[in-house]
Amino acid sequence: MSVIDTLTGEFARLPGVGPKTALRLVHHLMKGKKDDTRRLARAMVELADRVRSCDVCGNFSEDALCEICSNPRRDQGILCVVEEAYEVGAIERTGQFRGLFHVLGGRLSPLDGIGPDELHMDSLLARIRDVEGRVREVIVATNSSVEGEATAVYLEQEIRPLGPTVTRLARGIPVGSDLEYVDGTTIAQALAGRREM
Amino acid sequence: MRLSGLAIRHFRNLGSQELELPSEGVALIGDNAQGKSNFLEAIYYLETLRSFRGARDQELISFEEGVFRVAGTMQPTDASVRSEVVAAAFERRGKRKKVTVDGAEPVRMGDALGHLAAVVFSPADIDLVSGGPSERRRFIDIVLSLNQPGYMSALQGYRKVLVRRNASLKTGQPGAVVQAWDKGLVTAGAVVMGARRDWVQGRGGAFGDYYRRVSNGEGARMAYRPNVSLEGATSGEDICAAFQEALSASSERERRMGTTVVGPHRDDILLRLEDADDELDLRTYGSGGQRRTAALALRLVEAQTIRDTRSQRPLILLDDVFAELDEGRSERVLELMEAEETGQVVLTAPKEADVRLRRDSLPRWRIESGKIST
Repeated sequence: MSVIDTLTGEFARLPGVGPKTALRLVHHLMKGKKDDTRRLARAMVELADRVRSCDVCGNFSEDALCEICSNPRRDQGILCVVEEAYEVGAIERTGQFRGLFHVLGGRLSPLDGIGPDELHMDSLLARIRDVEGRVREVIVATNSSVEGEATAVYLEQEIRPLGPTVTRLARGIPVGSDLEYVDGTTIAQALAGRREM
Repeated sequence: MRLSGLAIRHFRNLGSQELELPSEGVALIGDNAQGKSNFLEAIYYLETLRSFRGARDQELISFEEGVFRVAGTMQPTDASVRSEVVAAAFERRGKRKKVTVDGAEPVRMGDALGHLAAVVFSPADIDLVSGGPSERRRFIDIVLSLNQPGYMSALQGYRKVLVRRNASLKTGQPGAVVQAWDKGLVTAGAVVMGARRDWVQGRGGAFGDYYRRVSNGEGARMAYRPNVSLEGATSGEDICAAFQEALSASSERERRMGTTVVGPHRDDILLRLEDADDELDLRTYGSGGQRRTAALALRLVEAQTIRDTRSQRPLILLDDVFAELDEGRSERVLELMEAEETGQVVLTAPKEADVRLRRDSLPRWRIESGKIST
């Protein structure tokens, strides 16, 4: 197999990339500067060699502890639980959250054979137990899909007896959108979760 | 609403035809196996986006063709309102369905449902009465999905959670993992049960009335029999609580069976004859004629629901339904249909003499080997 074929095959395995797009990417790299391609390759090698998951929270990290877990200024009393590590970034970009994270690595999905044992749930419960009462609140930020909801319910059952308040991200009308374009289920949820002004 | 135009391409044996439908409707006459029911199936496809005969989409494509398409022009009764074109197509190769309303794909397929406001009466309707509970659940699910906002999404949500909960049970997950699905199941299930109960209670009188009129005095009743007892439950919260309680009480049994054993997926609608002394289940004790009458009454109630909730006179599709009723009953059904606020009628019959509804006013079309001549 030629180098081009090999690389095309590798690209085609990436999410959202089909054989045609893969070939286009390869052609683009061949036409571009060799240095650019080498830089890309080096970045990928470093990604493989140096990026790992944080020992504590499961977030992407280059050290045993991620930047968030090793930052003494973060509030150790609030944990935000997300399904995937890339969701940490989404919440971090808001700049509104000063607590710590915990990455589950998925959600309850019995149709794919994923139960609590396949997720980082034990480590979450251990984290809460180990600091004896210092975790005041756990924010469950799993997705609002059927699986995400069940995961949230399960976490709530397990965490509440340990002491912390368990909260769930609010669901409702996206900011800046018109009511008339929002689907009925979302409006119903927003109605149920309305707040006094 | 009336159907003013229909364009068919490669649907079953109907080939490619473009037809203009008269405002009063049409009687389609032809021998057996010429495509009469296929024609009604094509029309009703625009209402539910699937076959009323339970066929899979790929079976609807003509042999040796790759895609079928049906497009209907709907003309609101109010002539000043613009007409609307609903089109549905299915491609064999990609197993892809494409639905458009006035040329635009709706955000969700569900948004395109129910544009026709039609009811089909078919000889197979007797299964609604004779068949198992799933037949009656399917019936009420379609009626409510088309006529009650929020019902379909609750039903779909319920089914989604149910499969996952069952998978947890089947793989022997611990109780806490199974229970994690309860909240979702209960929330969606309560909406489904509440809507079913309200519909059956609200329409029970009409069912009895239609049955009595067709059978000339005999009584029958329709009652919701939820799998979870709703006694004393009035509000949505009450229903949720009742369902949750039933789930918790059955945890040992469901563990043993490996599946969720309580919930609206096991509901039924009881159809009973009112006798002098007791009530007899039509499913077990009804004669052929009585069951057919009950099935007709259910369809008439469906038409009434469309009239009330969508403020439209429904398009009535009759697939050779009088063939199996006795003379008296069919006379009375006809009277009833004439008297009720029905809109356009499309009926099929093997012979000219079988066209009894609007005998003098319905234009006649003929069908032979799928080819319709107007």
